[in-house]
Amino acid sequence: MSDTLATWLERAAGFPERGLRFLDRAERATWLGWGEIHARSRRLAGGLLASGVAPGERVALVFPTSPEFVLGFFATLLAGAVPVPLYPPARLGRLDEYHAQTARLLLGAGCRLVLADPRVRRLLGESLAAAQPALGCRTLDELPAAAESAVAVAPQDLGLVQFSSGTTFQPKPVALSHRALLAQVRILNGFWPDSPELVHSGVSWLPLYHDMGLIGGVLCALERPGTLTLIGPETFVARPALWLRAISRYRATISPAPNFAYGLCVAKVRDEELEGVSLESWRVALNGAEPVAPEVLRAFCRRFAPFGFRAEAMTPVYGLSEAALAVTFSSLDRPFRSARFDRAALALGEVRESADGREIVSVGRPVPGFSIELREEGGTLTPPGHVGRIFVRGPSLMQGYLGQPEATASTLRDGWLDTGDLGFAHDGELYLTGRAKDVLILRGRNHAPEDVEQALVGLAGARAGCAVAASFMPEGGEREVLAVFVEHQRETANELRRSLPRRVSDAVLARSGLVVDEVHVLAPGTLPRTSSGKLRRGETVRRHLAGDLAAPAAVTWPRLAGALWRSRRALGRAARVASDPERRSIDARED
Amino acid sequence: MSTPSRAEILAGVAAVAREHLGFEGELQPDLRLVDALRLDSLRRLTLAVEVENRFRVRLEPEDEAAIETVGDLVAAVGRKLAAAGGEAG
Repeated sequence: MSDTLATWLERAAGFPERGLRFLDRAERATWLGWGEIHARSRRLAGGLLASGVAPGERVALVFPTSPEFVLGFFATLLAGAVPVPLYPPARLGRLDEYHAQTARLLLGAGCRLVLADPRVRRLLGESLAAAQPALGCRTLDELPAAAESAVAVAPQDLGLVQFSSGTTFQPKPVALSHRALLAQVRILNGFWPDSPELVHSGVSWLPLYHDMGLIGGVLCALERPGTLTLIGPETFVARPALWLRAISRYRATISPAPNFAYGLCVAKVRDEELEGVSLESWRVALNGAEPVAPEVLRAFCRRFAPFGFRAEAMTPVYGLSEAALAVTFSSLDRPFRSARFDRAALALGEVRESADGREIVSVGRPVPGFSIELREEGGTLTPPGHVGRIFVRGPSLMQGYLGQPEATASTLRDGWLDTGDLGFAHDGELYLTGRAKDVLILRGRNHAPEDVEQALVGLAGARAGCAVAASFMPEGGEREVLAVFVEHQRETANELRRSLPRRVSDAVLARSGLVVDEVHVLAPGTLPRTSSGKLRRGETVRRHLAGDLAAPAAVTWPRLAGALWRSRRALGRAARVASDPERRSIDARED
Repeated sequence: MSTPSRAEILAGVAAVAREHLGFEGELQPDLRLVDALRLDSLRRLTLAVEVENRFRVRLEPEDEAAIETVGDLVAAVGRKLAAAGGEAG
């Protein structure tokens, strides 16, 4: 069998009564059956080929959630080309940032043509001028009329390029083959086979330029073939109740969302918006794309149980765009599982259950075809009961980062993908504890810490180059918080030091559009560094959470001697301490 | 229906900021939206959509491109309302 996304579309066209339904803000539906999608995409594919798009070339898609996105996506595939979905401008966003970012993404993926929504297209001028895609930018209506067409591709050919982080700093284009996409979709659909009693259908408000919305939503519906109801992300954010109402109205069984969305429903949905709503049909409420907060899950289950929501529907999952989406799934037929672990032990990388420890939610077991290894720094396997770096292997891994052999080589080795995430196995299930890779995850979207840190350049009172941005889930918190750790200059007026948090958060907001939750002003020399002087972001967070992030005290001989003596007695690691001057200065403050 | 005055639109925007963004201060026209209301992308979206809902207008990307301050937003809504009123009348 040499199936591709194109052959799946051809097959789905035989089920014209199934397809995609688009709901607008007023809950009016626009129907697009698979048969119609197929026929119209074939015509548009002819137009793409007539415009000069050649098989294998990348075509950027800049559309809101709309029939046009779907038609542009499948037309690109039928032309044998590779879709690169990009996000449209944010509401009230800063256009100069958007242009710079979009230009970088277009260049990073080597896009030959941009297909855009007419409204978006009017704004793209600057991005296009900077990136200069060879074939320019067109709306679907502007493609030349041409005969229907379809170019066959092979399963190993590139099928999709998606970006792993939506920020300005070195975006990484994740290159996925048709084979990888098909494998991931088959894995997902294997979790919810249809039966005579139950035909599954989905509702999703997730952006279509995001793997969870595109692969987990549209492509899963394509393979079944099934019906999926789509809502624009901004419609959901403005009125989260519309998501739940759509699930009820169409008796949907599957609907995914990141942690923050469940919290938003608890905060914003009012009873009167749910008149007549029943969530009983909802079998699988996938929860992924960002860390899962147990409090949010409980609050959601409590809040919506009276409307028929079943606790066992809540399904925490783990995945990443480099694996085309899912890597682990928790069990579909029991409520979510969590356990408590000793904080101090975890800080040392050891796993010990403790009744009053930190609560962590299980993300379940590897999905079929995937295996997971936990490894130590040097690459050896982590002994049981310890935290390790998560490596995964499976049939849907990316080919690599497009045009970035070095980044690819450091992430994909011998068939294993280094996720950069940290976790441990407990009762056969995976628990995530943090990240070794430097990435901020905020509301399901990844950002580079450099974007935040660079906002601090030249800020009065801040020590140049001595700032760390990190996001993490605080204990008992409902979401990841964005924290900035910054060292003040040695000779700084108190006034300047006191105003630093406010100025840091203003500068970050202005530059990166992110709201900082916490600013920690630290004495010079507090931030942990490697022996070569590079800041260690992960270690900064670990020490912060362990309450262990303090400035080194001035090192004088008697203090140093005392510290050495204590640490020799307490920890029996005197040899290492004495031989390593960097360790010495850290230990010297342990009193 | 007469078109609301600038002051009325400002009061409406202030109500949105209070109800949906938890803004507690007084909303002055010269305040910069992003700084004063701490708007990240999610909060920008919330503000835009809630203002649209309240005044029953639709802001186009072109309208939004020039909006920097509270006053700019009020003016953009005012222009939309005037245009809609013109069509209706």
